[in-house]
Amino acid sequence: MQQNKNPFPISLHNTHVKLLAFDLLTLTPPISPNHSFTRNSIPITRAETVGTITLRDHKPFKFLRFAIDDGTGCIPCILWLNHMTSPHLARRRSPQDLCLLADAAARSAEVVKVGNVARVRGRVTEYKGGVQITVTDVISERDPNVEVLHWVECVNLARNCYNLVNVSSSSGSGSGSGSVVPKLN
Amino acid sequence: MAFFEGKSGALVSLQDMRPSSPFFKQGTSVRIIGKLHEYSSETGLATVIDGNDILKVSTEHLKDLKFQVGSVYQFIGELLIRTDNEGVLQAHVGRNVDGIDLNLYHQSLLLLKQFQANHLNNSAT
Repeated sequence: MQQNKNPFPISLHNTHVKLLAFDLLTLTPPISPNHSFTRNSIPITRAETVGTITLRDHKPFKFLRFAIDDGTGCIPCILWLNHMTSPHLARRRSPQDLCLLADAAARSAEVVKVGNVARVRGRVTEYKGGVQITVTDVISERDPNVEVLHWVECVNLARNCYNLVNVSSSSGSGSGSGSVVPKLN
Repeated sequence: MAFFEGKSGALVSLQDMRPSSPFFKQGTSVRIIGKLHEYSSETGLATVIDGNDILKVSTEHLKDLKFQVGSVYQFIGELLIRTDNEGVLQAHVGRNVDGIDLNLYHQSLLLLKQFQANHLNNSAT
């Protein structure tokens, strides 16, 4: 595997990294709750996937859990729908922001139907020791070639970008410490 | 955690559904793609083909899918091997993928499997 040969500093921090499910599901767990999952010691905070929705568990005004299958694995996803009832969020966001977020989440939830192909973006988080995506948006994909193009893009990015990122440049903080970077959210 | 223990449908071609294939096992989760050759609304059985290979697909769980002979479909499900050693895919997900570039699909599948094998080999060493 090629590693650390890229002279250009590239950060994957807060980038929606396009990973195949088998790759995402084998990320190294965070060493503490304040740290991120890592891939080859590179912190991965956000991810994007494309696949077929195969499972769905909806608790209205609480959450929508679903699984997305890209042919290499099933990624657990959670879309929070509790913006208007969460005291935690009420302390941190204005009512107008919460309304917008709740509307966006409701629109995303409408797309999540078993059998649909969707593009999912979100934060890489931990649930019961495993990887899950805490969803920020879901887009329905109708092009029958979109999953194939996603596979090719993931392989290309892994070979020509993600595998070449220097550990010391991956934080995006400019510190160049080379250590695992605490996640910001 | 049980909700998320659903197995991924392994990407296979209809060629991998022959009895000699390592994927030809009771309960194997697979994802296949093929052209609809026959469909019976009475039995819910669809027959899909890819070149010379053929597979029966039980579609009883696919309520909203419309079937049109000649169209290309993708199914995810579990393989049921009957007593006569014929495999029938019990589909739980299906969709019409008319317009898919099958050449690109098969070439990309090879690329994907090669990448996955290399990645897993590198992880193991």
